[in-house]
Amino acid sequence: MLAETAFVTPATPYHPGEEAAVPARSQIGLHAAKLGLQGGAFAVFALVLLIFALSSPIFLSPFNLGNILAQSAISGVLAIGLTVVIIAGGGNVVTGGIDLSLAANMGLSAAVYASLSQAGQPDAVAAGAALATGLVIGAVNAVAVTRFAIVPLLATLAVMNIVGGLELVLTQNTVIPAVTPLLETLSGAGPLGVPVLAYGLIGFALVTALAVQATPLGLRIQAVGSFPEAARASGLAVNRFVAGSFLFSGLSGGLAGIFSAAYLSGSTTGAGELLLPVVVTALLGPVFSRRLVPSITGTLLSALFVGVLINGFQLLNLSSTLVSGIQGLLILLVVSATTLLKRKEG
Amino acid sequence: MTALSPSLAPQTRRRLALGSRHALPVALVAVFLLFSALAPGFLSLANLESVLVNNFTLLSIVAIAMTFAIAAGGIDLSIGTAVDFASFSFVTLVLSGQPVPLALAAGLGGGALVGLFNAVLIAGIGISPFLATLGTLFIGRSVQQLLTNGGNPVYLPPAGVPESFRFLGRGTVAGLPVPLLVAGAIILIAGLILSRSRFGRVVSATGTEAEVVRYSGLTLKAHLAGTYVLVALIAAVAGLVLTSTVTVYIPSSGNAFLLNAIGAAFIGTTLHPHGRPNIAGTVLGVLLLSLVANGLLMSGLNFYWQQVGTGLLIFTVLALSFASRKA
Repeated sequence: MLAETAFVTPATPYHPGEEAAVPARSQIGLHAAKLGLQGGAFAVFALVLLIFALSSPIFLSPFNLGNILAQSAISGVLAIGLTVVIIAGGGNVVTGGIDLSLAANMGLSAAVYASLSQAGQPDAVAAGAALATGLVIGAVNAVAVTRFAIVPLLATLAVMNIVGGLELVLTQNTVIPAVTPLLETLSGAGPLGVPVLAYGLIGFALVTALAVQATPLGLRIQAVGSFPEAARASGLAVNRFVAGSFLFSGLSGGLAGIFSAAYLSGSTTGAGELLLPVVVTALLGPVFSRRLVPSITGTLLSALFVGVLINGFQLLNLSSTLVSGIQGLLILLVVSATTLLKRKEG
Repeated sequence: MTALSPSLAPQTRRRLALGSRHALPVALVAVFLLFSALAPGFLSLANLESVLVNNFTLLSIVAIAMTFAIAAGGIDLSIGTAVDFASFSFVTLVLSGQPVPLALAAGLGGGALVGLFNAVLIAGIGISPFLATLGTLFIGRSVQQLLTNGGNPVYLPPAGVPESFRFLGRGTVAGLPVPLLVAGAIILIAGLILSRSRFGRVVSATGTEAEVVRYSGLTLKAHLAGTYVLVALIAAVAGLVLTSTVTVYIPSSGNAFLLNAIGAAFIGTTLHPHGRPNIAGTVLGVLLLSLVANGLLMSGLNFYWQQVGTGLLIFTVLALSFASRKA
């Protein structure tokens, strides 16, 4: 795992005083509990894979696995964008980093792409415009949060409304079909018969993970989010990093828009419904990271885990409505466990 | 921003008092004048009553519930789930032929159940309210789909329903619509509880200085638990009024209130000298959202532009109040 190797400091706020105050024996216990929790997430993932593999013969087929990756591509890209905002803005979900406009952004970007394609514009123009749309939305969020000092939760909530409305205005709440060479390539099969969308997700996740978890830039982004005062004291322009994180999430909204246009052969309505699943995916990410903190690799795994659940339920003909309940239960279990663990530590 | 970040430096807090408080009242007056001039029919008595009954009542009840959660330093994303559970229990009991008062009580109970679940997670286990109620929201959605065969609405046949069922949503007392009276009563009681009662003061203290509440020997957990049950109970009232008005239960429909309720409650904080959540502010916030929704409709604007307009307006109010706090 790429993990958070770039950011290993002796004492982090996640386990304060671990070295000093906690007696050796309970420290071992805590380490065991933490390993158990983190290993537990992987064990659950493995167990779920095993159950689906045993109960459905086609689950493990390369075609189906590729399908899972492609299905997860849209929410995965969005959740990774959100994770960057959370890392740079800090983990407090109300005052810290959050971007509620991401799903609406994806919807508008897809609509922009589909509309321009339908108007006869070439792919380069349509795709460029979709990415630009995402970027502009990110810029508005960035200005609202850093210049106007609006709490991210509220700023992005208002922007979500505006963007959702603009999508309705543009599409008149209808489906805009789009068939273009770019979309056909994206939704088609790539090397090894795996959908190109799947490569898109993995590629996007790898590049982002490298940037955030293995470069000095990434180290700074994490410092800004976790220790804003210290970061400011050491001369980092905190606001610039926060603004940058919103620009990045805006761009991932635009990219997810193109992916979604490819996956659905055009733009459809109801993009906003993806918001909460994406938030849950990003918030579930920490269990798949070594120190139980938000990370790109963790979010990718979390997105794949949710994708596997949805896909497996479909194969087993189970009601996909259960997925939402299971996601809810998982997040509560995970968060309860981490909360109780931290309380023991403190 | 004290409501959100208790760790602000003292000098920042003092600055919050300046300049920001007028954004909301000014916006209200401006919006009112603007639509009076632009939208024919906006100023008519019938239309203003429709704003209050159709736009204002339900959202004001839900937003007041949300105000308590935010005052306690948290948030309740599952507030629509409480609305839905109340609605579902109410409809189910009426359909099975139970008397309406019993069904109403069951509705409140159904809503309170959601609050109890949140209380256990937040006060009992200590999960952050955002995550706890997000989990509740997701579980609630699945539960409702399981209860309704995959999310089918439950209609009440007009013939088989007692007249008293519609009283809460469509009745009038002394010429005034009952939903409006219910909302008025809740506004008054909630205002008294939050700013005049001991419970309300501890809730507010929990939101600003949770540590101090703990050191003062106050029962932080009990008050937190009580807050989330109260939030769900108030939201349940909205569910009952809603169901009585539309005579149908639609699974997960309560979520439609969520974002506007959060928006109204936070816009309302701009009215308070220290940016704290308060009932008067929330009510004005809901009024602003209602006037804008109705005004945009009355000015004949395309339905889709209404959402853009609402969003732009909220954004402007937030930008004005937060930017002036920062300066």
